[in-house]
Amino acid sequence: MTPRPVILVVDDEPDYLRIASRIAAKAGCAVLTAAAALPGVELAARELPDLILLDVGLPDVSGFEAARRIRKVPALAKTPIIFFTVRSELDMVSQGLALGAAGYVLKPFDPDELLRRIKAAVLPA
Amino acid sequence: MKPAAFCLTSDPAARAFYRAALAGFALKFYPTAAAFLKAPPAAGLAVIDAALPDMGGGDLVAALRGSPGTAGLLLVLTGAAPYSPAAAAASFDSGADEYFAFPPDPLLFRARLLNLLGRGPAGRPRPEKPAEYEFGDLLISPEARAASVGGKKVRLTALEFDILLYFLRNQGRVVSRYVLLEQVWKDAAEAGPRAVDKRIEALRRKLGRFGSKIGTIFRLGYIFRL
Repeated sequence: MTPRPVILVVDDEPDYLRIASRIAAKAGCAVLTAAAALPGVELAARELPDLILLDVGLPDVSGFEAARRIRKVPALAKTPIIFFTVRSELDMVSQGLALGAAGYVLKPFDPDELLRRIKAAVLPA
Repeated sequence: MKPAAFCLTSDPAARAFYRAALAGFALKFYPTAAAFLKAPPAAGLAVIDAALPDMGGGDLVAALRGSPGTAGLLLVLTGAAPYSPAAAAASFDSGADEYFAFPPDPLLFRARLLNLLGRGPAGRPRPEKPAEYEFGDLLISPEARAASVGGKKVRLTALEFDILLYFLRNQGRVVSRYVLLEQVWKDAAEAGPRAVDKRIEALRRKLGRFGSKIGTIFRLGYIFRL
């Protein structure tokens, strides 16, 4: 049996952490969570997840900075990252996508859209 | 001058369709949202695939519409067939000017795009949001900040009205209490999640039979579906 893909969800809002985790579980993935950027980066480096869902507005450092740090870990250099944030400025979206994100999802999420993004990122085409 | 369109799609079949249906247009193709956002144009017409590899078309439309630099673009979304009124309504709510299920009828598609280009050139001021929302006999007017059910005025406080508007603009999405505090209350420090629950209870009561359209999702928040 192939092991289930592992998804790391990083968000400081408990509600969103739960929603995103539930959707990731629905996609058939094992879920790890962190409520701030730096613990998220540490967890990522230790567990090497298959996909990272990363909130942009985190309390310690931004999700973008977290993504830069994640990319410096050689084993995570190509791990897909999906950013999410509250409906916001285009600059932020461009910045996230320019960092090589696999996707960008606006909050509040459309659950089907997030599920589609997760499946596209972790399941073989 | 040739009419022009920016086509955002990663699908080769869609590219071929646009080339054929929009023969004579100056077309520019972008396979991803990221490619388009490297230097987003301030004016013109963009046809956006709802399922881009890096971002949902509806989310991209909302982001483009919400930014001063790109708010003047004409935006057409294309979703998966069969045509779904719910998908179309969600697109218009994100700020799209037109919605088609793919592949649309080529003649209709071409005529509609030309019509949009002729009617709404760049820079022409356009209403940002629909003037009124109407669902059966529930009528909501953001401009007049008034709501009525069956012609009878619903008396809402300013905060309740703002909550209702937020739900309308985010139909079908799970909205957590914290997001409501952040986006509607603005100063979340002064209120807590319980305050949200109480206000929503009041809003449901005042909306009468439409109150049940605000669903509770256990431990997550609320979802508004009409």
